[in-house]
Amino acid sequence: MIYEGEFLKDAISKLLADGYRVFAPSRVGDFHVFREISSAEEADFNYILPRNSAKVAVFPQNEILIEYGDWIERVPMEEKRIAIVGVRACDAKAIKLLDKHFLEGFVDPYYKSRREKLLTIAIACNNALINCFCQSLGINPRKPEADVVVSEIDGRVFVSADTEIGKSFLQGFNLRNENEEELEIKKRFESEELKMREIRVDVEKLKKSFDSPYWKEVAINCKSCGVCTYLCPTCFCFDIYDEGEKRGVRIRTWDSCQFPLHTLESSSHNPRAEKWQRLRNRFYDKFYYTLRKGNYYCVGCGRCIDFCPAGIDIVNAISEVR
Amino acid sequence: MNEIEKIKDALKSSNAEKIVAFVRKESEPREVLKVLSPNEVDKISFSPLSLNNPAKLLMQINGKVAVVAKGCDSMAIRQLIKEGKLKRENLFIVGISCKGVVDYRKLAKFVNLSEVNDVELNGNDLVLKLKNGEKRIPFLEVVDENCLYCGHPTPVIYDVLIGEPREGKRDFSDIEQFERLSREERWNYWISQFERCIRCHACRSVCPLCYCEECMVDPSNLAVSPMSTPEEKASYPRILGKTVNARDNTIYHLLRVLHHAGRCVGCGECERACPMELPLRMLERKLEKVVVEIFGYDLNEDIPFFSKLDIVGD
Ligand code: SF4
Ligand code: SF4
Ligand code: SF4
Ligand code: SF4
Ligand code: SF4
Repeated sequence: MIYEGEFLKDAISKLLADGYRVFAPSRVGDFHVFREISSAEEADFNYILPRNSAKVAVFPQNEILIEYGDWIERVPMEEKRIAIVGVRACDAKAIKLLDKHFLEGFVDPYYKSRREKLLTIAIACNNALINCFCQSLGINPRKPEADVVVSEIDGRVFVSADTEIGKSFLQGFNLRNENEEELEIKKRFESEELKMREIRVDVEKLKKSFDSPYWKEVAINCKSCGVCTYLCPTCFCFDIYDEGEKRGVRIRTWDSCQFPLHTLESSSHNPRAEKWQRLRNRFYDKFYYTLRKGNYYCVGCGRCIDFCPAGIDIVNAISEVR
Repeated sequence: MNEIEKIKDALKSSNAEKIVAFVRKESEPREVLKVLSPNEVDKISFSPLSLNNPAKLLMQINGKVAVVAKGCDSMAIRQLIKEGKLKRENLFIVGISCKGVVDYRKLAKFVNLSEVNDVELNGNDLVLKLKNGEKRIPFLEVVDENCLYCGHPTPVIYDVLIGEPREGKRDFSDIEQFERLSREERWNYWISQFERCIRCHACRSVCPLCYCEECMVDPSNLAVSPMSTPEEKASYPRILGKTVNARDNTIYHLLRVLHHAGRCVGCGECERACPMELPLRMLERKLEKVVVEIFGYDLNEDIPFFSKLDIVGD
């Protein structure tokens, strides 16, 4: 359907009025970050990808699991509905992958409390960034998987909903049906491939290359920082610890397999003591280990390439494995 | 002979077992540091996009290594020699008299980077060789701001020097300007910056001087051994958790930066690495100003700052 006006901004105003917590791209200096906003003006849609990913809305960097004194005093759970507005196809797909991780098998109640009340409004990509490679991972950047999808084509705003929650949200808007020509335009838009990088994944080769000296070579300049994993929309590792001896909080925070302490065991043994082992772990966790959940856990957003201070490039590393 | 040929010649003359230098990526003009063997010398590149500091990489390599170093890179190498982390006799330093490097994120605003094949400085312009055609941008619009305050564009230690020596100057004018703001304004400014930090620790991890295996900003200590009792493990000092908020991030940055007193060489790696674009150099430069003005220490002195404090203390 077609909307006359700025759909994303109007959607934010409606969501806020309906009592949602709204996460949207907001401008900081020359770039954008996904963060919680309290008015439509705080959002800015002149962007392709925000620096951080939309996962902050469902998997925050810190969260309190338990408040304790002599005994458990409070278990805070998300009570409000959450909306992510302006998510791209890659980040939208990543949320589906986080769902598999946190909701299949062992169900994470904290994640669930946010996820079951989540509304996602995605925007189709007109162009790709320099390190985008989503298409080679089977994602169509022009047809994101979300509750509501917005595409801006030649000045027209197309809006569609595939899910029940999306359809019922759209009922509050004044939309008109597309005419024949517009339907055609949209169809063409969705089937056009964007120009972008491609990754070649050869799982059999990955399996055989686990002990290859190649990984040492790739990792030689790696700094073991948290950039790649913290910015990654699908990375789900966390740490839990208590703050406060007699009274306090049990906190969950993001953690990264690139930090040496991530796998340090209490016996002092560290199965991934060397940085090349840790970097290899990240690559295998994206393209091999997670296959048991049925998917690659990379959506091709390219953030880990853009912001790696050492210039390590997952597309090259995986495509050229030997 | 142009600059790059001179660098290659110098590297070839070094008899080193390994070479640490820049190689350009294929998909974008970004240059990354690589460890090469001598027969790969023709792969190297050097340009205003040779941003990173190779000093940290050198600490991983045994044996004789040849390295391409700009002014600030050489400062870091000299500092690591001073601190006993590198051996002068193992290094062959090809020093480059530096005219400044590009801020890659600024450059991205001017041009689609995947169209750029090569960049070069020509007078006051950065000349971009594009897939089709050429584009000139005034260098000042894309230069890394850090380079504007560079005190040592000419390497302070080298075996071969390439380019004419250039004067640097110590300039704290921006810091002085900031100092004139009220305490409250300065506090609010920093809190609004620290709030944004995601504590990826990249600023710490890329710093050539942050080589400690146990870093005090890490949430627990590596010094657990099979002999440690549960009580010891539970009570290991933890200065900071992994919680990310303006308060904890402030502590993180103050601790980190204080450890660089009289050591920070001004290469700008911290700020360049930061995905959230925090003005980290400003913190380090304020510290440098204090070290110079209050303690009268100069980085060019042979003795490390902390050792000098000990002597003065006696
Ligand atoms: S690959 Fe890059 S971003 Fe990731 S830990 Fe290594 S240096 Fe940091
Ligand atoms: S691994 Fe890199 S490219 Fe893939 S989803 Fe994560 S950040 Fe994006
Ligand atoms: S990776 Fe794909 S979906 Fe994500 S921003 Fe780039 S083109 Fe759009
Ligand atoms: S690099 Fe930036 S975001 Fe990361 S810890 Fe340092 S200041 Fe924070
Ligand atoms: S912050 Fe301090 S303790 Fe940590 S690595 Fe740097 S110098 Fe070492």
